Amino acid sequence: MRNLINKLAPRSPWIYRLNAGSCNGCDVEMATAALIPRYDVERIGCKYCGSPRHADIVLISGPLTVRVRDKVLRVFDEIPHPKVTVGVGVCPVSGGCFRDGYSTGAPTDHYIPLDVIVPGCPPRPQAIIEGIVKALDVWRVRLTEATCCRS
Amino acid sequence: MLPFLKIMVKNLLKGPSTDPFPFAPAKTPKRFRGCASHDESKCILCGICKHVCAAGAIQMRAAEDGSGVEYVLWHNSCVFCGMCAHYCPTGAVTMTDNWHLSHLAEEKYTFCETSFVAFGECSQCGARIQPRPQVIVDQLGTRSPDRFLLCPKCKRESQVKHATDKNLIQLREQQ
Repeated sequence: MRNLINKLAPRSPWIYRLNAGSCNGCDVEMATAALIPRYDVERIGCKYCGSPRHADIVLISGPLTVRVRDKVLRVFDEIPHPKVTVGVGVCPVSGGCFRDGYSTGAPTDHYIPLDVIVPGCPPRPQAIIEGIVKALDVWRVRLTEATCCRS
Repeated sequence: MLPFLKIMVKNLLKGPSTDPFPFAPAKTPKRFRGCASHDESKCILCGICKHVCAAGAIQMRAAEDGSGVEYVLWHNSCVFCGMCAHYCPTGAVTMTDNWHLSHLAEEKYTFCETSFVAFGECSQCGARIQPRPQVIVDQLGTRSPDRFLLCPKCKRESQVKHATDKNLIQLREQQ
């Protein structure tokens, strides 16, 4: 039964969008990738969800500003294991243009372990879809091995 | 009556408007600005790309043995502004239309373009100078090809010599 669920689950992931102080560029592209029929991310079974407790794949954008750091970490801890994190844009990895800025500490990736990175400022909707497809593979492995991203 | 029928039939004939990307290759516009690319055969190590890079994606590390410079372009920091390509005097840095950049987090630091640019040699004294590849000599050093390959010191000396020779000739002519 468990094997069957593990096999079926990656066909319909729930995506959760976490804004860690992003400039809104990546958020617009993420919304575009899902809402506009032209780049329909729902073709691979994905659906955005409103609650972090339902999420399977987390799309994180933004350099994790000091103001939202605690809130983002709190929401991130609400997401059940095994979760897959996708860093959208260059900010979560390196800080991008905001690196060493007064309002950003270390980039997101210092606090939240990323699994897949989609660099770009902002990345194309197709690139985000490509990242989600990669995240699905990671999730499949994680389900079979029953590991979590913090283990 | 029933005006939507016309639109429906038109759309049916047009086919799906969804980009078939994960299942088929996506169309990329020709002028799409994707990741930057560095061509070491054209690089003269002027460093203007590193200077104008808004996100600090370019690093130039001198090799330990002093033979050249390691040029590193980290795609995970590049914001595709295209300033490096705009200011590059020799066209060594260009913006490509490649957007297939998503990768696993393990490749975070290896996901960069690394190339080694060796220093050039002064044709007179053999001192270390910025590289002078043939492409650049043909492009920029056509006015005085000999002087283009000299180090700043030898260039200054040759210029002084050239000027004094000219003056001597003028003086002789006046006498």
